[in-house]
Amino acid sequence: MTWLAPLGAAALLAVPAILLLYFLKVKRPETRVASLLFWRPFVADRQANAPWQRLRSSWLLVLQLLAALAIALALLRPGVTGAAGIADTTIVILDGSASMQATDVGPTRFGAAVDQARGLVSQLPAGKQMAIVLLGQHAQLLSAPSGDPAVLMGALDRARPTAGEVDLGEGLSLANAVLTGHPNGSILLLGDGHARAPAAPPKLLAPLTYEQVGSTGENVGIEAIARTAGGTVFVRVADYGKRDRDLRLELRADGRLVDVLPVRVTGGSTADVTWSGLPNGAQVLEARLTPGDSFALDDTAWLVTGAPSVRQVELVTAENGFLQRALELRPGIKVTVVKPADYKPSKAYDLFVFDGFVPPGTLPSPALLVGPPQGQGPAPLGPGIAPGIVLPGTRGDPLLQDVVLKDVHVQVAGRATPPPGWRVVFGGADDPLLLASVGEPRLAELTFDIHHSDLPLRAAFPILIQNLLSYLMPGGFENQVYAPGRPVTLAAETGAKSVDVIDPGGRSTRLLPPFPPYSPATPGVYTVRQQLPDSVRVSRFVVDFADQALSRILPGPKPAVQVVDRPANRASRGVLELWPWLAAAALLLLAAEWFVFHRGP
Amino acid sequence: MLSPAELSLLSRLDLAYRRPVSGLYSGERRSPRAARSPEFADFRPYVPGDDFRQIDWRAFARLERLMLRLYVAEEESSLNIVLDSSASMELGTPPKWGSARRLAAALALLGLAGMDRVAVGTLADRSRRTQFLRGKDGAARIWAFLEKLEPAGEASAPQLSQLDWLRPGMTVVISDFLTEDSWATPVAGLRRRRQEPLLWQVLAPDEENPTLAGDWKLVEAESERIRELTITPTLVDHYLAALAEHRAGIRRAAEGAGGRMLHTLSSDDLEHLMLAGMQTGVIRR
Repeated sequence: MTWLAPLGAAALLAVPAILLLYFLKVKRPETRVASLLFWRPFVADRQANAPWQRLRSSWLLVLQLLAALAIALALLRPGVTGAAGIADTTIVILDGSASMQATDVGPTRFGAAVDQARGLVSQLPAGKQMAIVLLGQHAQLLSAPSGDPAVLMGALDRARPTAGEVDLGEGLSLANAVLTGHPNGSILLLGDGHARAPAAPPKLLAPLTYEQVGSTGENVGIEAIARTAGGTVFVRVADYGKRDRDLRLELRADGRLVDVLPVRVTGGSTADVTWSGLPNGAQVLEARLTPGDSFALDDTAWLVTGAPSVRQVELVTAENGFLQRALELRPGIKVTVVKPADYKPSKAYDLFVFDGFVPPGTLPSPALLVGPPQGQGPAPLGPGIAPGIVLPGTRGDPLLQDVVLKDVHVQVAGRATPPPGWRVVFGGADDPLLLASVGEPRLAELTFDIHHSDLPLRAAFPILIQNLLSYLMPGGFENQVYAPGRPVTLAAETGAKSVDVIDPGGRSTRLLPPFPPYSPATPGVYTVRQQLPDSVRVSRFVVDFADQALSRILPGPKPAVQVVDRPANRASRGVLELWPWLAAAALLLLAAEWFVFHRGP
Repeated sequence: MLSPAELSLLSRLDLAYRRPVSGLYSGERRSPRAARSPEFADFRPYVPGDDFRQIDWRAFARLERLMLRLYVAEEESSLNIVLDSSASMELGTPPKWGSARRLAAALALLGLAGMDRVAVGTLADRSRRTQFLRGKDGAARIWAFLEKLEPAGEASAPQLSQLDWLRPGMTVVISDFLTEDSWATPVAGLRRRRQEPLLWQVLAPDEENPTLAGDWKLVEAESERIRELTITPTLVDHYLAALAEHRAGIRRAAEGAGGRMLHTLSSDDLEHLMLAGMQTGVIRR
């Protein structure tokens, strides 16, 4: 239910006004008559009048109050997203952000939104179409415009929320694309206002109706968990609501309960807990708040205490401080710097990085090549080019996760052609600048000397290197912490035949070469089993929900949008307005009131 | 109390009794007792002991039987005029009291002109009345009595039964009859007392057709009861229906007792009042 004219609530003042009039007695003129014999009592005369009187039950009062309520409600212009009122083509956008998993409305906010969408589908009149868009990791068109309820219901059955942030801008862009060529459309957003809105109000081809789902902002979650150098565990508990809470913090080491700590946190503040009882040899520490609340995702956090296994990286370069420091940022990596003249083939390294140098003979793998000499390398470079700006190759490439390229420029690079089975990660206007192989052997090649660009000066550089390490170096994911929904490159050991990923719920997913990225949906500890030729290697990584923005589950306002002024838009209604029915009801009530007023004694 | 024109009008009229009446004195009314008088009534067979002077010899010649000729006895009658002088009678536009008092005066004059014994009294107080008066000389005393009367107090139907001064003849009750109690029993009691009832209802025009509208606080004149009303056309319709029903009840009471009932308005002049009486057969030329 939406109220299109909230100011109409002022009309509700008519209700106490009517009651006041009934308390007040009307001052009637007095006249003497011979007899009251023929002036029989009449229901209308149960109205009142001289200063005050006791309120008496009266049909007139009831009817007048009901009529006033009906009129006031009509002025509020209530609307429901009923099928009869929706536009010819309605785009239903389901907000799948993590906060939609809150259970303050049953079964969850997302479930309630889906149920509401099902209600719309069931009421969809003939000749109307509906499309379903899910705001997940990326906006997804679950159903193209269709008037078939079975198709739409099937799409809604497939809808699942994410455990992370979603992009509203993507969803609105998708809705615009769907609405192109469909006049008289409308967009209905079912969510709690936590989908990330575009920086500037987007222009929409149809009016947007926001149906808010959710009722509370009360939520307590673990905001941070860390281990100090001395081995003390630090946990910060945040109360994002207004109520004070007395909770318990359960600590589990590798799944075994090791301690329970009391936590008192006041509304709108945080409470810090320190603990030093971590058992020796524990790999993963789980901290869980009990009792839980309506938003469970942030009630549990994990700390990987086990040190990742040390990986050997050989950096062959004349000198590249930027590259060396970026590689050394990753825990558990030991970088060995070798001059090109001193390079000797060796199998003692987990990753080779060749900077301005390509070893003769067979290229060892996995390897990262940076600015190889002209005509050398797996993707031999041609004559120099001046690409200038840098553009991403494939949208959503895991190697570009969190990498911002808009401030990156490349002055000189070598022209290259992607070999078969390689992909362009980013490039200039016409030529690739970073190429990566798909599958084994794992190779990547930067077609420019990083000193000929401003890339090392940007924040994107160390992030890009970490992404490359995760992709190229076997086992680079071990004991790492990831955000839910973000793809994880599970770089398998050389010779691995399969990789089984077991999520916190015990469900197993088998990945086969070339081992595509895996997207963990729910927070928790994930177990990875690599099937090697002669053994099984078991490792783990953690997906942790630590997003303060999403932990603030208080439903947000309607996002700001601009609606392109199309004649059809003026006629379209995203909601079924109820005021005509309310006005008719008010008219009927007034007619009944008139009848009762004038009917006989 | 009455203008010369009205007196002239009344001089041409007479009261018409429906039933023969008997009185102590000879008068102009027909008596139920047959007597020697110019007006023939009937024949009956002669029986020994009858006054043979009453034998109709012409009938004997035709029928060869002795028949006695009977005559209607013309005697004086009593006219009882009961005037409702309750407080409600001074209401209305014009007030009902003026019309009722003039009507009482006119009827009394008609009665006196017909050589009837006439007495006028109030409904509420049996002690407030005139003596039975005869002849046109009684008119001045009756009018003087009427002049002194002022409407006050309450009136009710049972009060009619308590009036012990009423004599056989005609009893005229002049009232608005706006009482909640039934008039059937008191009026039936008049018949048992050998009186022909004439119930003459006088209402004001605004009582006959109410002109009130909107919110009013009505105060009943005699009981001071209050009723707050919002007067609508529908409510007026209900008023008129209730008035008609009430009036029909009074009419049934009168006719059930062998009498008559008529109603006039306080705005009617004497000529209209007499015409109404003539329409009902109460007054004749």
